[in-house]
Amino acid sequence: MRIFSRQQNNNSTVSEKKIIGSLSSNIREMKQLFSYDINKDFSLRTLTTRFNKREACIFYYGSIVDGERINLHIIKPLLENEGDEVSNIVSIENIEKIKEYEKVVQNINSGKAILFIDGDTDAYAMDVANFQHRTIPTSENESVVKGPQDAFTESLDNNISLIRKQIHNNQLINEGVQIGIRSHDEVNLLYLKDLVNQELLDNIRKRIKELEVDNVRNIELLEQYIEERPYSLIPTILYSEKPDKAASYIEDGYIVLLMESSSACLIVPVTFWSFFHSPEDRYLRFFYGNFTRTIRFICLILSLLVSAAFVAITNYHSEMLPPDLLLAITGSRERVPFPLIMEILLMEIAFELIREAGLRIPNPLGPTIGIVGALILGQAAVEANIISPIIVIIVALSGLSSFALADLSINYMVRLMRFIFIMCAGFWGMLSLTAAFFLFFMYAASIKSFGVPFFSPLSPHYISTKDTVFRQFIKKEKFRPGYIRPKDLQKKR
Amino acid sequence: MRYPILFVVLSFLFLLVGCYDRIELEKQSYVVVIGVDKTDERGVYEFTYKISNPEVGSASVPNTPDEPAAEIVTVQGSDILSATYTANSIVSKRITLDQTKVIVTSEELARSEDFMRVIQSTSRSPQIRGDIQLVVTKEKAVDFLNNNEPLVETRPHKYYQFMLTRAIETGIIPKATLHRFFQITEGDADLFLGIYATTEMDNNEQHNEGIEDKYIAGEIPQQGGSPTQFMGSAVFKEGQMIDTIDGEETRLVHMLDKTLRMEEYIATIPDPILPEFFVSYDYSQKKEPVINIDYYPNKPTEINVHVKFQAEIIAVPSLIPYTQNLEYRKKLEEEIVKRLEDKTEAFIKKTQTEYKSDPFYWSLYIRKHFKDIKEYEKADWHKNIYPNAKINVTYELDTLEFGKMIDDSDLNEVRD
Repeated sequence: MRIFSRQQNNNSTVSEKKIIGSLSSNIREMKQLFSYDINKDFSLRTLTTRFNKREACIFYYGSIVDGERINLHIIKPLLENEGDEVSNIVSIENIEKIKEYEKVVQNINSGKAILFIDGDTDAYAMDVANFQHRTIPTSENESVVKGPQDAFTESLDNNISLIRKQIHNNQLINEGVQIGIRSHDEVNLLYLKDLVNQELLDNIRKRIKELEVDNVRNIELLEQYIEERPYSLIPTILYSEKPDKAASYIEDGYIVLLMESSSACLIVPVTFWSFFHSPEDRYLRFFYGNFTRTIRFICLILSLLVSAAFVAITNYHSEMLPPDLLLAITGSRERVPFPLIMEILLMEIAFELIREAGLRIPNPLGPTIGIVGALILGQAAVEANIISPIIVIIVALSGLSSFALADLSINYMVRLMRFIFIMCAGFWGMLSLTAAFFLFFMYAASIKSFGVPFFSPLSPHYISTKDTVFRQFIKKEKFRPGYIRPKDLQKKR
Repeated sequence: MRYPILFVVLSFLFLLVGCYDRIELEKQSYVVVIGVDKTDERGVYEFTYKISNPEVGSASVPNTPDEPAAEIVTVQGSDILSATYTANSIVSKRITLDQTKVIVTSEELARSEDFMRVIQSTSRSPQIRGDIQLVVTKEKAVDFLNNNEPLVETRPHKYYQFMLTRAIETGIIPKATLHRFFQITEGDADLFLGIYATTEMDNNEQHNEGIEDKYIAGEIPQQGGSPTQFMGSAVFKEGQMIDTIDGEETRLVHMLDKTLRMEEYIATIPDPILPEFFVSYDYSQKKEPVINIDYYPNKPTEINVHVKFQAEIIAVPSLIPYTQNLEYRKKLEEEIVKRLEDKTEAFIKKTQTEYKSDPFYWSLYIRKHFKDIKEYEKADWHKNIYPNAKINVTYELDTLEFGKMIDDSDLNEVRD
C-alpha cells in the first residue's frame, strides 16, 4: 500500500511541473518524461521559426499522428510564414495553449503534436491524431434484413458521426467523462439534453467518476465496472453495435456510452424488453414485426424450458405423455446405458462445445466443425446407442431456439438458466421445475437497472409505448417510456 | 459467511430427498388393458394384463426380432394393484397402470354381487385414470384378451383407441368411463351402460330381423377381419349388471341423453310406399334434446322430451321420387319420425317395467325440485319416480336433405 501511494506521489510531482522559458531544458525534460532514448516511436523535430527567428521543437508519437499534416500545416508554415502569433501561422484546426507538463503528457498520448518555442512559457498542442481503425463495417452480430446495415467501428469520431447522422438535433450532447488514473481514457455520454432524466445522468457520471482503476480500455470492460450486480446471471446493461439502435434509444431519453476503442456502445438503463427486441421488429410492418416477436417469444420459452420439461415429464410424469410418444421414447431408450437426465446433459454440453469450438476455430477450418459436430451429435451417437434419437431433437430444438435470442447477454443467461432448470427438473420433476421457474421469475422481476424495474412497463405499469412482447401500430406510440422519467413524455401528438 | 452455510444446508436437502419417485421410462411396463375374472374362490380374482411392447412399431429400433406387440399375463390376486406385484414374477419391469385405456370384465363377474368390491379399488389409486372405459365381455376376460388379435392395428393401445372412438361416434356403444360408472352408481338413480363386446361368434341363432344395428356383440354375421365385435351395452343397476341392450337401443340412449355424444349414424327404414325396399338415411342431431320434468309428489311425474334432428336421405332403392312429390315426401318424413317414436316408446316401456330405472341420466333434471339430498333420496327415483312416470318423447324432423342428387335414375327410361 505504501509503495503504491509513494509511486503515485512521484508521478504527480513530475506532472505538476510547469513549462519554463528555456527550450533546451524543456527538451531535456520531455526526453526524460517519454524515455526518448528507448521509446522508438516518440519523435521530435527542431526548427527555427521564421516569424520570430527562434528555436522551436515539435514532439509527437510518430505512430499515432498524421505525418503529412504535421509537415504541411505545422512545419511548413512555421518555416515560411510571417505573423505575430503561433495560432495565426499554423494552419491546423485545433490549437491549444498549455502550461503544465501533465497536460503535455495527456495531449501527446491522445495523438497531438506539442510545439515548444524558445523563450515561451506556453506550449502549443495541435491536433494531428490519426489512430488506425477499420472502416465502417456491416453489422455481423446483430444482422437485420430490413434496416440500416452499418455498425460501430473502433473509432469514437466515426461512431459519434454515425449517431449524429441519425439525430439532427442541437440538444444531442456528447459529454466526455474522464476515467482511469494511469491512462486517461474518456467515456463519452450521448444523450438528448432536453429529454434525459437528470438524476439518471448524474448517477452514471458518478459511477464512472468513482471508479478507482488505472485504466479501462474499452466499453466491454466498462460494462462490468459500472453494473450493479456483477454476480447476477441477468444483464442490466445493453450492448449493441448498431448505431440505429443506439439512436432510437437516445430519442427515447436513454443514455448511450461510447469509448474510443470499442466497436459498440452501451445503453442504459434497460429492461427485459430491450434485450428481447431487435430493431428489425420496428422496421417491419405491424403484423410482420409481431409475428417475429411471437416466434422469438416461443424460442425464449423453448430454449429455457424444453429440455427441462422433457426431463421432468419423462422421469416423473410418464402418465402425461400420449401412449404413442411414450412407447416411441421408451423403445428408443431400451438400449441406452445412461439415465435420461445424463443423456440430456451430455447432449447439451456437446452442443455448447460445438458452439464454442465453432466460435474459436480459425475461419479456414470452419467447415470441419460442421461435419464433425453433425456426425457426433447426430447419427453416430444414436447408432452407438449412446443417446436416443429423441434427445437429439430436443437438444437441437433448444439449441436452435437460443440463436433466435440475438442479444449476447440474454443468450448466455438463457443458456445457463437452461442447465439450472434441467438440474431442478431432475430432482422432483415438474414440482421443482415450476418452483425454480417461479423463483427465477421473481428474482428477475426484482432486478433493477439504474433504478428501472426489469419488467417495466409491463410490471410495474408505466406510461409507455406499450412495446413489450408485442408492439403497437407505430402511429399509436405516443409516449416515451415513463419508467426512465424523461423530461418530455409525449413524442407524438 | 451466512450464505455458504445456507448453500450447504440447501444442497443437503436436495441430495437427501432428491430424485424421490423418479423412474426411467424403460424401467416400466405399460399396461394397456386390464382383464378381471371370477375364480372359484370368493375374494380372489383373476387379473389379466395386456402389456404393450414399446419396441414394436418404433422406427428408431431397426433390428427388433419378431417380438409380439403385446404380452399377456394372467395372475390371481385380490385387487388390481396388488396383483401387479404378483405379475412382476413374470414380467421383468415395474407394471404401470398410468396408460391403461380399458378394463375388461367378464359378464359372469359383472352380474355377480362382488363386482362393486373389485372395481372399487380402481377409484382409490391415482395410477388408474377416471377415463378408463369399462368393457363387459360375454366370455371370460382372459379369453377375450387372448382371442382379440387385431389384424391391422397390431399395437394394442392404438387398436382400442381407434376402435372405441369410432364405435362411440356411431353410437352403437356408449362412452363408459369409470368416472361415469361411479357417478351414476353412487348417485343412486339411473342405469350405467357399459360397453359390450365379445370374440365369440354366436352362430346358433338366426338374426334375420337385425338390420345394421339391431344386434348385440357376437350376433353380427361376419366374414373375415378380427373376431372381436363391439356392439350394444351392458346395463348396470346399482353397480351390478342386469341385462344387455342392442346397438339400436344404445343409439336411442345417445339421442335422449344430454351427457352422451354421438356424431351421426346411418339407419334404414322400410320404404313407406314400397315396403319390400328400404330407405337409408343419415341421422344427425345438432342440438341437445329438450328435457322437461315436472315433479309431483302425489301423482306421476311428467317427463317431456323433445328431440330435433336432421336427416339426409342416402339411398332410395325403390326409386320412388320423394324429392319431387310433396305427398310422398311428407309420408316419408312421417314414417321416419313415427318409427323413431315407436322404438323409443317400446324401449322406455322396457326400462320402466323391466329395469325400473332409466339409462338416460334423466335424474339430473329432477334434482332441482328438491330442497336437499335427503328429500331427493326419499322420493326414490328407482322405485317410485321413474317406474310410474308419464313419459312423452317427441321427435321433430328439422331438415330433410336428399344428398347431392335430386333425382334418381328413371328405371323405365333406362330399360326401354
